[in-house]
Amino acid sequence: MTRWERSVPVYGVPVLTRGFWALLALIVVGLVLTAIREVVGIGGVMSGMSDPFAWGLWKTFNVMVLTGLGSGGFAVGIAAWVFNNKKLHPVMRVALLTSCLAYWTGLCMLGVDVGRPWNFYWVVMPWTWNLHSPLLEIAVCMSLYASVPLFLENLPPLFEYIIYEYPQWRGIAEFCEKAMAKVFPFIVALAYILPIMHQSSLGALMILGGNRVHTLWQTPFLPLIYVWAAAFLGYNCVVLCVLLAKLAWKRDVDPVVMLELNKLTVWIVYSWTGFRFLDILVRGKILHAFTDGYYSLLFWTETALILGSAYVLSTEKGKKLSTMFLAHALCALGGMIYRFSPTTLAFHAKDGATYFPSAVELIISLSFVSIAVLGYLVAVKKLAILPGTNAEWLKMAEYEEQVKPGIQLTGYAPVEH
Amino acid sequence: MAMTRREAFKNLAKGSLPILAAGCVSTALPEVAHAEEEKQAPKGALGLLYDATKCVGCKSCMVKCSEANDLKPDTRTDGIHQAPPALNYFTKNIIKLYRTADGSDHSYFKQQCMHCIDPGCMNACMFGGLRKDEETGVVWWLGSKCVGCRYCEIACPFHIPAFQWDGFNPKIVKCELCREPIAKGLRTQPGCTEVCPTQAVIYGKREDLLKEAKSRIAANPGRYYQQKVYGEHDGGGTQVLYLSRVGFDKIGLPELSEESIPSGLKYSHAVYKWLALPIALYAGMVAFAGKNFKAHSHHLVEDQKKTGLRPQL
Repeated sequence: MTRWERSVPVYGVPVLTRGFWALLALIVVGLVLTAIREVVGIGGVMSGMSDPFAWGLWKTFNVMVLTGLGSGGFAVGIAAWVFNNKKLHPVMRVALLTSCLAYWTGLCMLGVDVGRPWNFYWVVMPWTWNLHSPLLEIAVCMSLYASVPLFLENLPPLFEYIIYEYPQWRGIAEFCEKAMAKVFPFIVALAYILPIMHQSSLGALMILGGNRVHTLWQTPFLPLIYVWAAAFLGYNCVVLCVLLAKLAWKRDVDPVVMLELNKLTVWIVYSWTGFRFLDILVRGKILHAFTDGYYSLLFWTETALILGSAYVLSTEKGKKLSTMFLAHALCALGGMIYRFSPTTLAFHAKDGATYFPSAVELIISLSFVSIAVLGYLVAVKKLAILPGTNAEWLKMAEYEEQVKPGIQLTGYAPVEH
Repeated sequence: MAMTRREAFKNLAKGSLPILAAGCVSTALPEVAHAEEEKQAPKGALGLLYDATKCVGCKSCMVKCSEANDLKPDTRTDGIHQAPPALNYFTKNIIKLYRTADGSDHSYFKQQCMHCIDPGCMNACMFGGLRKDEETGVVWWLGSKCVGCRYCEIACPFHIPAFQWDGFNPKIVKCELCREPIAKGLRTQPGCTEVCPTQAVIYGKREDLLKEAKSRIAANPGRYYQQKVYGEHDGGGTQVLYLSRVGFDKIGLPELSEESIPSGLKYSHAVYKWLALPIALYAGMVAFAGKNFKAHSHHLVEDQKKTGLRPQL
C-alpha cells in the first residue's frame, strides 16, 4: 500500500508534447481574438451578451465557476492547517497550484470582460471604494488573495527548484524559504479568510438580481451556500487532479488520503444539501421544486448529481478508483451547474431575452482555461507538486542524476527550521 | 506529545476566544441589520410623473430626448425611423405600446431611469461610477469611475442602464433627467416634459408630483389601476412616478416589495460590520495554524534525519 510522503515531480516525460502544442495553439488564437475584442468592443460577434444578459461566460464561467473549482487551496488548507488533519498535507501542493492557476486566469479573464479596464486603478485607492458593493469586495479580496497569500504559498516548490537546479542561487532561495517559514501561519490564515470572504461575495452578487434569480436559488443565504459549494468543488478538483495523474503518468495513489478526501467531500456535500433544503423549506418555497418546469428540473439535476455522487463516495463502491473518479467528476459537474445557475441558467433576465455564448466568446473563454491547464502540465513536470513516496523520489533522483550530472537531490544534512 | 492540564486550558481558551467573538457578533447581527435605516429621498428630490392614460404615443419625447442629450437617433431597425426596440446606448427614453392579442385593450408607456431613492445600480457600482446627486437625487454616470463591469445592469430591476456594446471605449447610457443641459442653463426642464403635447409626463419636485398624482386619483375614482401611484413605495420608492389604467406589470413595471434592492444585502453588510467577524476568524486561524505548523515542522526535521531528503514545506 502506497503512503504519500513527499511531493515528487513527474520525471522522464517530455514537456513539449503534442497536447502542449495544441493547447498553445488555442491560447494564441484566444489571445489574438482578445486583442480584437479590445478594439471592437464586446458586442456583435464577439459575445452573446446583451443588455438583459449583461454577464456572459467570461464572468459567470471563468470567474464564478472556475474559481469555485480552484478553491482547493483554502478548502483543503483549512482542514489541514486549522483543523490539523495531517493526512491532507501531501495533496496541499496540488490544491494550491490549481487554485493559483484558476484565480490568475480568472482575474485576467475579468480584465478582458470589463469594458473600461483602465479605470481599475481605483482599486488601490480605498477612499474611492463603494463599501456596499459585493463586486468591490471581490475585486479587492480576490486580487489581494491571488497576489499575496496564494502567490506566497506557491513559492516553496519554486525555491526548491532553484536550490536543486541553480546551486549559485541556493543561498538566496534557502534564506527565502526560512523567512517564509517564520511568517507561514500568518500567510495561510490570510489565505483562508480572504477566499471565505470573496467566495461568499460571489454569491452576494446575485442578491442584487432580486426576483430575476429564481426563488429556489435566490436567498439571503446565497453567499453562505455559494462558499460552501466552493468548498466541495475544491475537494473534487484535487481528487480529480490526483487521479488524472495516475491515469496519465501512472502515479501511485495513497488510499488513506483518498478516503479521507472522500469522507470530507461527503460531509461537506451532505451539510450543504441539508442547509440548502432547510433554507428553501423555511422560506416556504419547496413547492417550486415541483411546479416550475425547467427550473424544477434544473434544481433536481443539480441535487441528483451532487448528492448522488456523494452517496456513492460514502459506500464501499466509492473506494474503487474508477468509481471514485466518476463520482467526483459528476459531483464537480453538479457543483459547477449550481454556481452557474443564479447568473445564467436560473436567471430570468427579461421576457423573451436569451443568452448563448458566441463562438468567439467561447474560444476566448476556453483559451484562458487552456492557459491554466498548460501551466499545470508544465509545473507538475518541473516542480515537486504531485504527491509521491520517498522511494519514488529516490528513483527520480537516480534518473535526474544521469540526465543532469552534479545535481544533488538526496543526502541532505538536517537543518533546523 | 503529552499535554499538561495547564496547556490544555490555555489552548482551550485560545481556541474558544475567536468562537466566542464570532458568537457575540452573530447574535448581534439582527439588531445591526435593523439599525441600517431606510433611505429617504433628498429634500429637493426631482422627478417625473408619467400618466399613461394621457399619453397618445406620439414619441416626440424620444426625438427631443436624443436632441437634448446629443444622442444619435437609433434608426437601425429600418434606416429611416427612430424606432429602437428597447432602451439601448442610443436611447435614454422610449415609448412602447402594450396591446392585448385581440386588440381590445391597449396603453402606451414610457421607459427611462426611475431615479430610485435607494438605487440598486449605485449600490452595485464598485468605485461610484453611478452616483446620486445629493440635492436633486438624480442618478448619473461618471465615466472616470466606471470599470465597465455591467453589474448595474444586473442590479437594476427596471432594465435601465444600457451598455455600449461597440468600440474600445464603451459607456453606460441612461436618463439623467437632462441634468447636464439644465446645469449649463441650456434648458429649464428635461426634453421629454418640454415637448409632451398632452402633459402625460411632467417634471417637478417629487413631493409635488406625488400630491398631484394623488389628487388625480381622488378626482377620477376608478380610472387608475389599484388607485395607486407606482413608485411611491415600490422598490423602496422612486423619484419617477407612474399612473396607469392597465396593470403596472403590463407596462413594464415589475412587481417589487417596499424594500429597496440593496436592502437584500443588509445581512451581508452586518457580517462585515467593522470587519469584526473576519478579523476574529483570522486571529483564530493564525493561532491554530501556528500551533499545527510547529508540530509539522518538527515532524519534517525528524523525517529528514532518517531519509536525508530536503524537507518540503
